[in-house]
Amino acid sequence: MIENLKKNYSLILAGLAVLFLVLYPQLGARSYMLHLFILFFTWAVVAAYWNLLIGYVGIYSLGNIAFLAIGGYTSGILSKIYGLSPFITIIIGGFVASMLVTVFLGLPALRLRGIYIALLTLIFADMLPSLLTQTRDITGGGMGLHGIPGFVPGMMKVHAYYFCLAFFVIAMIVIYRVINSNTGLAFVALRDSEDFASTLGVSRYRERLKVFAISSFMTGIAGGFYVHSLGDISPTTLSIEPFLLGLAMIELGGVGTFFGPIIGAAAIVFGNEFLRLAGNLRLTLLGALICVIILFYPGGLMQFISQAGNFISRITIKRS
Amino acid sequence: MLEVKDVNNYYADLHVLRDVSLEINKGEIVALFGPNGHGKSTLLKTICGLHPAAKGSIVFEQEEITRTPAHKIVEKGIAYIPEERHLFGDMSVYENLILGAYNTRAHKDNQENLAFIYEIFPRLAERKTQRCYTLSGGESRMVAVARGLMSEPSLLLVDEPSIGLSPSMRSVVFKSLEKINREKGITILIVEQEIGDALKLSSRIYMIKKGQIIFERSAAEVNVREIEKAYF
Amino acid sequence: MESFANALVSGLISGSLYAAMALGLTIIYGISRVFNFGHGVIALMGAYIAWLVNQNAVSAGLPLLLGMFVTVVVMFCFGIFIYRFAIGPLMKKPNWDISTVLFMLGLGIMLENIVLQLFGPRIKSIPVFLSGNLRLWVIQINWHEIIVIIIVILAILFLNLFFKKTRTGQAMQAVAQSVPGAKVVGIDIEKIFGLTFGLAFAVTGFSGILLSTKFFMNPHIGWSWMVTGFVIVCFGGLGSTSGTIYAALILGVVEALTTLYLGASWVWPIWFIIFLIILLVRPQGLLGGRN
Repeated sequence: MIENLKKNYSLILAGLAVLFLVLYPQLGARSYMLHLFILFFTWAVVAAYWNLLIGYVGIYSLGNIAFLAIGGYTSGILSKIYGLSPFITIIIGGFVASMLVTVFLGLPALRLRGIYIALLTLIFADMLPSLLTQTRDITGGGMGLHGIPGFVPGMMKVHAYYFCLAFFVIAMIVIYRVINSNTGLAFVALRDSEDFASTLGVSRYRERLKVFAISSFMTGIAGGFYVHSLGDISPTTLSIEPFLLGLAMIELGGVGTFFGPIIGAAAIVFGNEFLRLAGNLRLTLLGALICVIILFYPGGLMQFISQAGNFISRITIKRS
Repeated sequence: MLEVKDVNNYYADLHVLRDVSLEINKGEIVALFGPNGHGKSTLLKTICGLHPAAKGSIVFEQEEITRTPAHKIVEKGIAYIPEERHLFGDMSVYENLILGAYNTRAHKDNQENLAFIYEIFPRLAERKTQRCYTLSGGESRMVAVARGLMSEPSLLLVDEPSIGLSPSMRSVVFKSLEKINREKGITILIVEQEIGDALKLSSRIYMIKKGQIIFERSAAEVNVREIEKAYF
Repeated sequence: MESFANALVSGLISGSLYAAMALGLTIIYGISRVFNFGHGVIALMGAYIAWLVNQNAVSAGLPLLLGMFVTVVVMFCFGIFIYRFAIGPLMKKPNWDISTVLFMLGLGIMLENIVLQLFGPRIKSIPVFLSGNLRLWVIQINWHEIIVIIIVILAILFLNLFFKKTRTGQAMQAVAQSVPGAKVVGIDIEKIFGLTFGLAFAVTGFSGILLSTKFFMNPHIGWSWMVTGFVIVCFGGLGSTSGTIYAALILGVVEALTTLYLGASWVWPIWFIIFLIILLVRPQGLLGGRN
């Protein structure tokens, strides 16, 4: 009974939120806010698909930012240097990211214990900047890639906003379908009860590869949307700070929940202003935040909201 | 010597022990029978502290040990011989035995205790320096029992010692348990699937089903068939 | 030929330094199955603490030894502290294998940044133990490096003795092989885990001092040491101390030769490729165990 109510509330809220997001630019929003929202849309997708791996399926990938970078760089290079349309290059970027990642990271490591995929993805992400430096003729090396064309010629911030919003909504629908598919449900069962689910005969390796491929594909596409909205990308995307920010989003929102990464991304992107106030201690604060959440509030904001939601539901039921 | 009173325990939401009460007197050998998964091993694990009771009390030699951590319970004189053995595979038989006396009380008598063990289990003397992962099922079972003995326990909790063993190995194990009880006066609580041998060994038996003790008898009063019937 | 020989020797030396560093990682993983993602920072902290003591010690005589001593003690206590208040509680909850990883990552970055704030980004160094060179055939080696190798060998021997001969060391080995078995023989698992972290942090911090005499210290170098440590530990076999040592020596040489023939920026891609090959061909590493 409470479950149904909760589901209805969530859907209604989600619908309202999307409506608001669609109308928002028309309400006279500043360019800077639109910029933040674009960041929010892309980061929310990254966080959500990262959370899909870590929180739902138990694939401890630490390299999702690298997937974003691969997708972004590929799309950026193809559209800038070869003049292809961003709509095509973004998809290509997603495929490239997914192929590389699934073949070089997923295939070897997903058969093994969880720690290996964590190590492999970490080392992979750490090695990418070196590769970027080696190929500086194409990728711009340490200076980064600039002047990446927008989705359409003469694109304005608000157009990018709508493209990213559309992508965000579609990406969330895809995740929802994945989580509720046979594969997804099997993994949730696995997560909650190891013994029981192995009797279902879930072929963990193949299924994990599938989810890994989907996750890296969508993250790569997010990278494409990122570069075509902002116009540039550089190896700083692969540095510690974006990595920590991504982790913080997942942890803060609530690992293994659907709305968690979205809320976490919102909190981090819009709360980044506060982080900037901390100046040099930014990373210290981020690290401390992650530690504190893991130790004391592992369910993140979703746990808090869920408890509040239960409380409200119970009150409303009692009334009627 | 050991008094278990109204003990309740859970595995996640599963209520595996329901108001279990039993008593063991000094010097006895008591057997615990029951279908698989109905709480036999759990009860042993609860007594020795590996899986502390959620409710109820366990008193050993007039001391309340319900909340005592597992490593302290070993010090107090209860040794648990797990069904899975849990030997230190990369170490030799000798090293495993020595570690059995890890708590200070007993390790002064290590050499004496080793001598006794090599007497009951001559195979182990032969295999002294062999790594435990090379041992056969019966031999590792013997090491598990022997390792428990090294701590000079007054109460031995043995979990399905005969499982997976050949009949000849089984009789070796049971004979050794009988000898341990007779010569050293060590009290034994044994959980078994092999009703016949365990029944011959013990003076009293308990029957557990669905986490509850359904009856207690002296061993002379029952026979194997009656017990088997009670399983269903 | 000359440069090859020198690279080989140089690689062996850095390899032995890496071995000292990676041992801490192996010790923690082998005994508690926790993979320390803050490993690099721990080594770094060791180096900075020694440097700090060094700067402030008035007496000229043995400042570096004092620094080493302080580092070992401080890091040992820190390890126990981290276990008791963070890792221990996390291990009792579900999904501890990833929560400990993320926690140590967050902690590592936090500490690295604090070090950066306290000490500044510029390179520091710990003075060499002895100056002067030695020339054997075509090989150039300095006295300092020889001393460092001797120290590493002594440290390894000491650890070996500790694990084989002391009761605590044997208990640690027991826990590494079977936690339920250790419980059943009366070993206090919590105490052992705490001591494990203490020991591992102390060893790692100490190795950080040694590493800093060869490689310059800056707050970010911990990360690259850590990644090197990861590859070494997996190559050698998770949980095997001898595997770690062999792997470290081999990879030290590989790093030196790569730098010589391909250039320094190829080192990390090579690490990645090596790691990939390990996973594909022999995931348990050189001397990896049966579990």
